[in-house]
Amino acid sequence: MNRESSRRNFLAAGLVLPAVASASRTSGQSPQAAAPSSQPAPQSNASAPAFQYRTLGKTGLKVTSLGFGCMITSDGSVITRAADMGITYFDTARSYSGGNNERMVGAALKGKRNQITLSTKTEGRNKQEALDQIDKSLSELGTDHVDIWYLHAKSKPEDVTDELIEAQQIAKKAGKIRFAGVSTHSGQQTLMPWLAKNPNVDVILTTYNFTMEPFMNDVIAEASAAGKGIVCMKVMAGGTRGRGATPAISEKLHREGALTSALKWVLRNRNIGTTVPSMTDMDQLDANLKAMSQPFGAPDDKILAMHLEHIAPFYCRLCGDCNGQCRQGLPVQDVLRFATYAEGYGQFALGRERYLALHPSHVQAKCGDCPECTVNCPHGVKVAREMARAQEMFA
Amino acid sequence: MIRTGGVALAVGLAFSLAASAAAPVCNLVPGWTAQGKARSYTQDNLFEYMDGNAEGYVLYGFQTMQGVTCEKGGVTFVIDISDFGDADSAYGMFSATHDPGQPMVKVGMAGQIVPRRALFVKGKYYAEIAANPEGDHTETLRQWISTLEKTLDGSSELPAALAWFPAEKQQSLRLVPESVLGISLLKRGYVAQYDAGKAFVVEEESVASATALMVKLRAKFAANTAAAVGDEGFLAADQYLGKLCIFRKGKYVAGYGNLADGQDGVALSTALAKRIP
Repeated sequence: MNRESSRRNFLAAGLVLPAVASASRTSGQSPQAAAPSSQPAPQSNASAPAFQYRTLGKTGLKVTSLGFGCMITSDGSVITRAADMGITYFDTARSYSGGNNERMVGAALKGKRNQITLSTKTEGRNKQEALDQIDKSLSELGTDHVDIWYLHAKSKPEDVTDELIEAQQIAKKAGKIRFAGVSTHSGQQTLMPWLAKNPNVDVILTTYNFTMEPFMNDVIAEASAAGKGIVCMKVMAGGTRGRGATPAISEKLHREGALTSALKWVLRNRNIGTTVPSMTDMDQLDANLKAMSQPFGAPDDKILAMHLEHIAPFYCRLCGDCNGQCRQGLPVQDVLRFATYAEGYGQFALGRERYLALHPSHVQAKCGDCPECTVNCPHGVKVAREMARAQEMFA
Repeated sequence: MIRTGGVALAVGLAFSLAASAAAPVCNLVPGWTAQGKARSYTQDNLFEYMDGNAEGYVLYGFQTMQGVTCEKGGVTFVIDISDFGDADSAYGMFSATHDPGQPMVKVGMAGQIVPRRALFVKGKYYAEIAANPEGDHTETLRQWISTLEKTLDGSSELPAALAWFPAEKQQSLRLVPESVLGISLLKRGYVAQYDAGKAFVVEEESVASATALMVKLRAKFAANTAAAVGDEGFLAADQYLGKLCIFRKGKYVAGYGNLADGQDGVALSTALAKRIP
């Protein structure tokens, strides 16, 4: 895909919106209610959620381990209630709903700015676009600064350009942002170690969930050890919708608590500072608050296994059990991993490059040449179909 | 509807699904040429294109997207047409993403043009154009959406429900795809935000399910008092939704929330009920 013509550019076009009066600047320091890092806060009410607070790397920002991703929230009352209940981290972006989301978040959190950590994102392609967007974001959010300002949806080091970093530094010096961040949905294996070493990056917002490859734990640990705050999104792995799930399966997974199990799976990683699951109603908020205070256990494993079951035909866990099963000697696990680079993480070039680096006989092999596939995935991946897709894609 | 064979990105199932949507082409407007390949996305891979924004599309029932980038004289237009399956959902997406503070234009069901961006909705299709570089591209955008609109099948009539809401002091009116007023019981419906208070209408599958929903809502807002609105109604108060008046008329559950002091929830709801068929 030509990145110059990507959705990022589309959204960067933005709208000319009426200004909203700025709220007075708040210190933005850690919430008053914050307990020491990773400790449950004392509760005055036994039925209230037991908040866990964690520190976002070297920023020193103490936030609840359950944050609030505002992107798909349609009624600001849910955000207001979350803040009242004690959630301290709220995340939005300039591009969400054509700018309408920031406006709603600003209205919902009016009067609460000094209680919360607020982040937004820019998809500006250059310094000036980014700086224009932070001004617009502050106007819409009704504040004179955000705590974290992310460069939105970067997939490789080259995306994090010097001039975008410069824009963040300019905004930081001007007091418009407190900390600089980068958000990423793909390419973490390469990007996150690079971000970990970048002294200008304070916080990394990354996709992270139970369906992802084990390397994610490693790159998160590396970034955390380097002092970067780690914020996780897509913690529900896209919820229970899509990816082959029928409405009936989705309902079952939802009913049996797949979403809260997925959240608990993420929260058990102590390198994670906070999470930003999307919430649209009070019930989801209550369920997530409950999940925040509960440990991950065997029942969660079971429900997540069930969740994986419906995405199994598409998703290779790289367990290696298929090694040696292919009559053509194809490295099935590797090919499916390269396909995941291309389709799952949007890194087609990387996937193809790795594929073409395989032994020439493997590159030239076609699964369609076999009368039937000898590879049986114990997790239900339709190997022949997915291999053929990969071969067609990388041909 | 325009159908082209220029879709090249998706493969397998994704390809076959995506290929059914309307696809824009650059030579629709003289002088414009394609820059790069056409784009095609489904629910499964939309995030590759728009990363964190895909979820918002899926929430409104997004099915497929066809797009192309067109260039003329150093100006590029990123053009995408999404199929949302039905007109209500497509309008819902438009209602969530257009700027209520900017004027609308009559293109298809509704449209909006600002200097570097144009949106419109027609039938089940939601179309977007973004212009680069910086500058006022209003007139060219107008030409493009006018041309694109003619290539898309579908109704140009606004959803009937929009007319049910009083227009006076209305700030916005949109389709909320789930959890109307942040209440999971109210699954999907229209919400109008006013200078003070907000009105909503949720359509249930049947009178019976609407009646059952009212029972659950009464239980949720336990401290309620009956109100003579529609077929049944009640008044309640909530810390976040303020003063509420909720009623049922046939299979519709509707009402007002966050009413200001001095606003008569029963009177407003009665007026709303009269407009609901």
